[in-house]
Amino acid sequence: MRIPVKPKPAKGPVVPPAGSDPHVLLRVISKFLIPLIALFAFYVQFHGEYGPGGGFQAGVILAVSIILYALIFGLAEAKRAFPPWLVRLGMTLGVLLYGGTGVVAWLLGGEFLNYSVLFPDPIDGQHYGIIAIELGVLTTVTSVMVAFFYAFGSRQPDIEDGDW
Amino acid sequence: MSSWFVTHGAAFIVVLPLLMAAITAVLPAVRRLAWFTALVVVSLVALVAFIVLQTQIDLGAFIYRMGGWEPPHGISLGIDAVNAPIALLIAAMGVATLVYAEPAVDSEVQRKKRAPFYAAFLLCVAGLLGMVVTGDAFNVFVFLEVSSISTYTLVAMGANRDRRALSAAFNYLILGSIGATFFVIGIGFLYAETGTLNMADMRQILANLDGGSRVAQVGFGFVLVGLGLKLAMFPLHTWLPGAYAYSPTAVTAFLASTATKAALYLLYRFMFTVFDPSFDYVAVTLTYVVTALAVIGMVFASLQALFQTDARRTLAFSSVAQVGYMLLGIGLISTLGLVGSYLHLINHAVVKGGLFLCLGAMWYRFGITRISDMAGLGKTMPITTAAFTVLAFSLIGVPFTAGFVSKVALAEAALERGWYWAVAVIMIASILALLYMGRMMMVAYFSPPPASALNSDGRVQRREAPLLMLVPMIGLAVTSVLIGVRGNVYLAEVSENAARVLLPGGGL
Amino acid sequence: MILAADISPAVPTILLDICLLTLLVVTAFAIVRMRSLFAIVMLQGVYSLVAAAWFVTLDAVDVAFTEAAVGAGISTVLMLSAMLLADRKSTPVPKTRQWGALAVVFIAGAAMLFAVPDLPAYGSADSPANAYVGTDYLAKTAVEVDIPNVVTAVLSSYRGYDTFGEVVVIFAAGLGVLLLLGLNGNAGRYRAEVRGQRLSERAAPTGVSARDGTVAEDPPVDTTPVQAGGRPSVTGLDT
Repeated sequence: MRIPVKPKPAKGPVVPPAGSDPHVLLRVISKFLIPLIALFAFYVQFHGEYGPGGGFQAGVILAVSIILYALIFGLAEAKRAFPPWLVRLGMTLGVLLYGGTGVVAWLLGGEFLNYSVLFPDPIDGQHYGIIAIELGVLTTVTSVMVAFFYAFGSRQPDIEDGDW
Repeated sequence: MSSWFVTHGAAFIVVLPLLMAAITAVLPAVRRLAWFTALVVVSLVALVAFIVLQTQIDLGAFIYRMGGWEPPHGISLGIDAVNAPIALLIAAMGVATLVYAEPAVDSEVQRKKRAPFYAAFLLCVAGLLGMVVTGDAFNVFVFLEVSSISTYTLVAMGANRDRRALSAAFNYLILGSIGATFFVIGIGFLYAETGTLNMADMRQILANLDGGSRVAQVGFGFVLVGLGLKLAMFPLHTWLPGAYAYSPTAVTAFLASTATKAALYLLYRFMFTVFDPSFDYVAVTLTYVVTALAVIGMVFASLQALFQTDARRTLAFSSVAQVGYMLLGIGLISTLGLVGSYLHLINHAVVKGGLFLCLGAMWYRFGITRISDMAGLGKTMPITTAAFTVLAFSLIGVPFTAGFVSKVALAEAALERGWYWAVAVIMIASILALLYMGRMMMVAYFSPPPASALNSDGRVQRREAPLLMLVPMIGLAVTSVLIGVRGNVYLAEVSENAARVLLPGGGL
Repeated sequence: MILAADISPAVPTILLDICLLTLLVVTAFAIVRMRSLFAIVMLQGVYSLVAAAWFVTLDAVDVAFTEAAVGAGISTVLMLSAMLLADRKSTPVPKTRQWGALAVVFIAGAAMLFAVPDLPAYGSADSPANAYVGTDYLAKTAVEVDIPNVVTAVLSSYRGYDTFGEVVVIFAAGLGVLLLLGLNGNAGRYRAEVRGQRLSERAAPTGVSARDGTVAEDPPVDTTPVQAGGRPSVTGLDT
């Protein structure tokens, strides 16, 4: 089985000897940036009730942080951090989390996705219901976006630096 | 428990397959596990769809408030005499196809991909049901996308049989996306005009505006073109032959019997419920544009069917022609016309689904796709060929079959409006159907089987399709005859109720 | 001449709108005229970014956010990855095949322009879209959902079922990629086999090497699918 593990911009081993890596600046800066991007994703996720944002945007941003990691440090490294089986499971879990919230509302005697019945106080129910479904959106969107990248990236032919 | 289904059934038939699709996608590649899960889910959906239909018959139209919000603010599902039977039809065809799918998918899809394959199938079922039961115009678009995207994937899976499935799927993806875009632009214009997305509310507001301004007219045009692409209205049908011919056999049968039908249901909904033929632009468009395209499609697609070498492409072009019949019923703008159209929708779903199942079984045993290779099937696969024959008669419209009932209903409706030429076109298209279906049956019955299909002693070796394939195709063949013999008792009533809901005033 | 007293808050944004829309049109034409796919992908990113800026001037901040993240961010990377599997340059489409597409664009555009005179003024408070359900949401959210961002309340509670559908759409897309490509680039190729005897050898190309169907040496006695299914069904022909 062929698993192409070439990082996209960099040709050669994943961690080249010191001084010979033309992308060292990129690596250092992105190491600093990636956690910030992920943090921003969670900010967008949990601040969505107050400002613009929500699960969808947060999911995309979180996926971007993983994709950036893959671009800089290579697909194999990214797959170690976020393995494909987890990606597949994440796609499913997000849908189940969202739909499951609706099913719980069913079990508590309300309509599908009626968050008001989730807690004794309908307002509480709405709040927690929205948090739960936004988490579901985050999970599915992140997983699917990463899945797209893995699917296309894993088939990558070698790219010479000169091609760019 | 059954009272719970009475209340929540309309949502249940959409949500259950959606959630189970997510679970099915990660099931281990144990033989038959994913298939069994999908079959149980869709059977349960069919059962609940029946309860919903029964509820609708007993209590009349009802709505389901998603999330507990009242209609124009929240999304509501609306069940009435028009969509309850179609929901049951889709679920039932899903069951028939899934029963057939076990051996078919076993031969056409590699083992590790079967679980996601069935998951995509469940998504397609859920998407079609979601489109049909919803009472919210934007929600239609969402579920249209669910069913379309899973369908593109399913069509592309046919690449295991024929690489041309990939370009067919791509073609379908592009045209389907254009259709969905047109549809959603139309919804956008309607929202600008009415300020609501709820269909019943839209109807009220548009009626108060007496059809509304140019904005509503443009919205109408975009919705018509978008749905026309999805239901393969004549010049917009180019995606259909490839998608039907190259997708996995089970997928073709399901698509042919349900996908265009769900889009056609939406056309009924938008033309008659959201808009109203009493608006000038609706009446003019239906009478001149839709009818003209219907008639041209009936003749032209039938002629194209006649000149195909591939059996599945023949049936695909025949589907375009049959859509023409249903559109003709819409173009008549009369209760009788809608009765005929609705009846033909149900009949054609049963018949075309069954025919594609038979062709799928022929591929399963012999790898046959071309008509000339069907030689001797009457001897090698007698039961399959018999079912194929019965269903073909039904497609042609031989008396005592389903096709006869609906074609007569359509002809009567055309006579009622004095459209004698339309009756003539129905006759011509039926004769063309006789020719292209007859060609296949001639080859199947009267050409000798090829030498390689003979035993060493020169006798024909029978290789009937496996039981799981035979059961649904015989079931559908018997159904089509039952509709033909007793159809005027039950189905006619269903169609009349639907037509009365769509055209409360009785039309022009 | 714009007098300070006459400036409604909408005037400067309209000027901005015109600039941004002009940029969008220019970018779109550039994309259509380009042959280098790499440049096209980059310009598509530009297009999304300009569109996002335009959405901000329309006060649709949530949409702008999504457009920037998806259109300018993820899509560009995905298009690049897809492009690398294909050619670097697009082959020109013959002129004769472009007329149809052009006609569709013109007719659709003309239809939209036809509606323009009857559309409510931009931002008008008594347009149906703002006056009816829209106003109700503003009033009801504070009482019924009690979160500050009304857009979130509409998306996840009032129209939560739509959002559920959208999540499923994304899931369906992921499922499609999983089925057709595989997450490790090893979706493999598989040739569907008949479970009987292949009579029609003039079947279509399946893209797999010359491995033939089960052309039976002698006619197999047992033709149940179980027997035929005994063969390994995953050929896993990884390229």
